[in-house]
Amino acid sequence: MKIIPSFASRACTVMLALWLARPLLAQDTKPADLTQISLEDLMNLQVTSVSKKEQKLGSAGAAVFVITQEDIRRSGATNIPDLLRMVPGVNVAQMSASTWAISIRGFNDVFADKVLVLIDGRSVYNPITSGVSWDQQDLPLEDIERIEVIRGPGGTVWGANAVNGVINIITKNAKNTQGGLVSAGGGSETTAQGLAQYGGAIGGTGTYRVFGKYSDIDSTTTPGGGSAQDGWQSLHGGFRSDWVLSPRDTLTVQGDLQESREGQNLTAVIPSALPLELTFIDRFDASAGNILARWNHTLANGSEMSLQVYDDHSSTFSLGGRDRQNTVDLDFQHHLSLGSRQDIVWGFGARVADLYLGPGYAIAYVPPSRTDVLLSAFFQDQVKITGSLSLAFGSKFEHNDYTGFGFEPSAQLVWNPTARQSLWLSAARAIRQPDAVDASIREAAATFPTGPGSFGVVAVVGNPSQRVERLNDFEVGYRIQATARVSVDVATFLNFYHDLRTVEELAPYFVTSPGPPHLVVPAVFEDIGTAHAYGGELSLDWKPANRWRLSSGYSLLHMVIFKDAANVDSEIGDSGSGTPQQQFQARSALNLPHHFEWDSSVEYVGRLAAGIPAYTRVDTRLGWRINEHWDFSAVGQNLLSPRHAEFPDDVGLNHMLISRSIFVKLTFRF
Amino acid sequence: MNLRIRFAIALAALLPALAGGQATGEYQVKAACLFNFAKFVEWPAQTFKSPADSMSICILGPNPFGRSLDDAVDGKTIDGRKFVVRQVAEIEQAGGCQILFIALRPKKRAPGAPPAMAGVLTVGESDGFAAGGGVIGFKLEGGRVRLEVNLEAAEQARLRISSKLLSLARIVKTQGM
Repeated sequence: MKIIPSFASRACTVMLALWLARPLLAQDTKPADLTQISLEDLMNLQVTSVSKKEQKLGSAGAAVFVITQEDIRRSGATNIPDLLRMVPGVNVAQMSASTWAISIRGFNDVFADKVLVLIDGRSVYNPITSGVSWDQQDLPLEDIERIEVIRGPGGTVWGANAVNGVINIITKNAKNTQGGLVSAGGGSETTAQGLAQYGGAIGGTGTYRVFGKYSDIDSTTTPGGGSAQDGWQSLHGGFRSDWVLSPRDTLTVQGDLQESREGQNLTAVIPSALPLELTFIDRFDASAGNILARWNHTLANGSEMSLQVYDDHSSTFSLGGRDRQNTVDLDFQHHLSLGSRQDIVWGFGARVADLYLGPGYAIAYVPPSRTDVLLSAFFQDQVKITGSLSLAFGSKFEHNDYTGFGFEPSAQLVWNPTARQSLWLSAARAIRQPDAVDASIREAAATFPTGPGSFGVVAVVGNPSQRVERLNDFEVGYRIQATARVSVDVATFLNFYHDLRTVEELAPYFVTSPGPPHLVVPAVFEDIGTAHAYGGELSLDWKPANRWRLSSGYSLLHMVIFKDAANVDSEIGDSGSGTPQQQFQARSALNLPHHFEWDSSVEYVGRLAAGIPAYTRVDTRLGWRINEHWDFSAVGQNLLSPRHAEFPDDVGLNHMLISRSIFVKLTFRF
Repeated sequence: MNLRIRFAIALAALLPALAGGQATGEYQVKAACLFNFAKFVEWPAQTFKSPADSMSICILGPNPFGRSLDDAVDGKTIDGRKFVVRQVAEIEQAGGCQILFIALRPKKRAPGAPPAMAGVLTVGESDGFAAGGGVIGFKLEGGRVRLEVNLEAAEQARLRISSKLLSLARIVKTQGM
């Protein structure tokens, strides 16, 4: 592997700079030691009641997994997709240096569209690409407080397209990232990664942090063994500020700016040179920015309300064309108790997305510009039937520009036979609305020979009259804190999908231009797919000793996709074959003497029907908390085999092999 | 471009705000309170066999503190005694605890009615915990942690609560069921 020399020189420069810039202040970022203050002062402190939410997760009527900051720190992951590998039910497949296919309970695809992903309440689903660009969610992992993953339709509180689940990434409050932090790391795949961050106070009531992060990721390897030339660099800067305006009001304002430059290995039809289909390294660049403000207010009667507004803008050059989107979103929620038995949340929201989808090599969008408006409202009522039994029911109501009005009701029943166990059942309906790509795309997707000297072109055509994709979901789960050291969590599900997007080929016709004369086979998006899926996830957590924690998870998915017999030649757009039937992972976190930590994980991912064989991944991390300022870690990833594939070629993007890699990082806090 | 202008306006709009406290985690404050109770409460003479015995803080029910309680007492001593934090599954196992934090609501009794146990400081956060017979109850009021102390329960448990602690708490009487 190349790069070691340049990593070493970069790291040495950084370390020299840090040594020369020895700290003037020495603040660490651990939470304040409250035992030093008097009891009187303790009782005057304003507290945030995180407890309610956390208790809700423990007795939730849904399959929930929380990745804590400790899990993040000890995973050795350098990006969010690698963190998500530890969640049962989530399938993470890396396809190239900058592309991942991530989904929950099936339908995995580079453009997976059945999972809602939020960062601090802002949806990061990109309407341009109709998926999540994980390379652009390059948050400093040190700033993530926790990641909540809910498998299944996520209840009525969450936003649109939370069909198979919700991934909610929550960053730390600015008051918990005070002081300075500089980290530098490098390795064989992540060539260089640097972070500089500083947090301070504003007046007596506000805190802020500002950060800048640079990443340089090396190329992956083609299946033939050469460099994929898909390496990329990204520069990301951002800030977060948190204010306590009064005993009843808090305000958060945060924003980011990001630029990335990448290579993509593509196969595309060149319409000006038909029947040429070229495989080449394409340039991809993206810049994005967002700003968000959230106000939480406690009313006189004790109920809480929150109001959030954000603006998210991105501009991408990809597949030969420039695309832009600007989304403005407003969300309001009110949480109140009614009597002693009812807990009600309700709210409404509006989102306006301006899109411009420019023409690319073989893609155009008709019309190229559009403005999509999504209006939504929801309510959920949780009723305490007896001390140990509660029923929650609610619904979300949506109106979108493609399919009009839709609603998603759900209900959950939670029974706590003892304090340490809970049994839950849930039933929900979820929808995925069509988006600009579904409705507007025109793409020459592939060419094929039809005889000596003649050929045909498959032309994909979007469909503005697509219906929503629907899911009826039924789940049963059980959780137990069996002993003080062992806990078990089981969730099972039965899903019925209707009106899934399919691609139907219609009768071919002959055209004379663009020349030479050729056949065109129109492939139109329709919505006649049906799927049945069942499966479950099991997680087990065991602390054999105070210094040693073991966690493991197993996922099972069995999916059958029906094609309507009347179809001439139909292919499901999002195939269940994108997800393996079984996945298993186990993690160990061991505290060693002298502030060393040894953390390892093993992950087994079953084979994909599309032809990717099963693989096993072993990662290990050695961490050393040198003192309260310095922290060092060395991570080895994918140690078992030199390189392996995780996902097949997808819509013209060619898959690459992921290699064994190492990464070392030094962090300095002041 | 115009996004940068938007950023500049947003930063300029971060006006200094009105006076108020900084928000802290609820359970961090409660953990610090438990630590302080050890300072301001006197246990009966036979509680500790030797000056080296540690002070046990036990949690009955699901642990709401996360790491806050362990972090708060780690390495600290009161009167030379170190702290030990334990989890207990049943109230019968709580006999060796000096401070018992009751995290769950006992089912077959009226809410907030823990049994009186000699030498055990029972602390809870459910509604009416102190009025129901617990020694100290936590109550959230206006976003602040407040204390309710039941003196009769303290007497039954043979605990002596310092006047310093009493002055900061609201005294409640045991309510009939």
